[in-house]
Amino acid sequence: MSQALHSTHEALSAYVDGELTPDRAREVAEHLTTCMQCSAEYETLLATIAALRANLERYQAPDVLRARVRTAIAATPSISEPAARPEGGASRRRRPWVWQGGIAAALLVSAALGSGITLLASRGRTSTPDVAADVLASHVRSLMPDHLTDVRSSDQHNVKPWFNGRLDYSPNVPRLEEQGFPLVGGRVDYVGGRPVAVVVYSRRQHLINVFSWPTRLGDAPLGVTATNGYNMIHWRSRGVERWVVSDLNASELRSFTELLASS
Amino acid sequence: MSQNLHERFEQTVLPLIDDAYTLARHLLRDEHDAQDVVQEAYLRAWRYYASFRGGDERAWLLTILRNCCYTWRGGRRDAEHVPFDEELHGLDASSRYAADVRAVDDSDRGSLEAVLGRLPAQFREVLVLRELDELSYKDIARVTGVPVGTVMSRLARARERLRRVLKRSA
Repeated sequence: MSQALHSTHEALSAYVDGELTPDRAREVAEHLTTCMQCSAEYETLLATIAALRANLERYQAPDVLRARVRTAIAATPSISEPAARPEGGASRRRRPWVWQGGIAAALLVSAALGSGITLLASRGRTSTPDVAADVLASHVRSLMPDHLTDVRSSDQHNVKPWFNGRLDYSPNVPRLEEQGFPLVGGRVDYVGGRPVAVVVYSRRQHLINVFSWPTRLGDAPLGVTATNGYNMIHWRSRGVERWVVSDLNASELRSFTELLASS
Repeated sequence: MSQNLHERFEQTVLPLIDDAYTLARHLLRDEHDAQDVVQEAYLRAWRYYASFRGGDERAWLLTILRNCCYTWRGGRRDAEHVPFDEELHGLDASSRYAADVRAVDDSDRGSLEAVLGRLPAQFREVLVLRELDELSYKDIARVTGVPVGTVMSRLARARERLRRVLKRSA
């Protein structure tokens, strides 16, 4: 019996963790009282574990991450009990207006159902303010050191292929350097709970983040908003939703957007 | 109802963010990747929170987080591809021992962090889950998707490797 005990680091390790069955633990305890070799090993093990516990790094999540997580959660519906609401119930939380809004809302819903618009689309429809918050949060984050780009290049032939395999679609990366908007690079970010392409341009010292992702919603004209000193322009065309965000002044950002939209 | 769900999530799952971030940092060894993956894991946890059937929220969240880490690493880049074979990497494998020695002889001599970084992720995760999160073997098995016996042996091996390294650097 003691021979079997001798050889196992495992048994000692599990003994320290209180993970042996009571019988086995008693055996080990008894063995340790009589076997010098094992008790020495046991003490070394205790010291190793103490060193590990004292030295293994515990990290504290940065505040910006906490904020990002909260934003992302607020913008996303939780999927309801699978038994109760198999599929379509997911967006219920996000659609309080369905239950308050009466006929208009009911019409919208039936229109959405009728035209086969999926869960994703109905989320997109109602989550615009949250998407805006996500986009803005992502833009702000991108201004922090090392967050701007995953692929850094002023050549669209480098940036565009970089997205291959990282996203389920390929973003448009036009060359606008001659018009005064050099390409900086690209990255993948999360908006509304899905990975999206972000292509980064610059204008003097200002950075412009261009977000895009495929959508099944119909076209929507340019919408311009200003939040906390950032200008945001969004629109949908030909199955792609785009958001342009920058601290660049509104008129130049507008010109940039028009160049982008027409390219 | 869903309001309650959200509140419950805020009260029980959100406070675990440091644990999630710690595991992500140890697994991915990159601050920014870790942040992105924690966000993704939280989003996923939130999406499926209604179907969480009770039990240990931490083990549940860390399970999701760990999967996100591996998916992230697999899909994004081959930052760390360490094939791990229980037989090949047995305790007495001299090649592995040599790797430990090399690790200590590197510039970060004696730094536990540096040595940890060179361990396969399977070792790092059991160490973090046990020594920092103090999960039971059963919960570690759940999180890592391996049998309890494998948890036991990995943990013993991980500790053994660290012991040798600590001893040599002492």
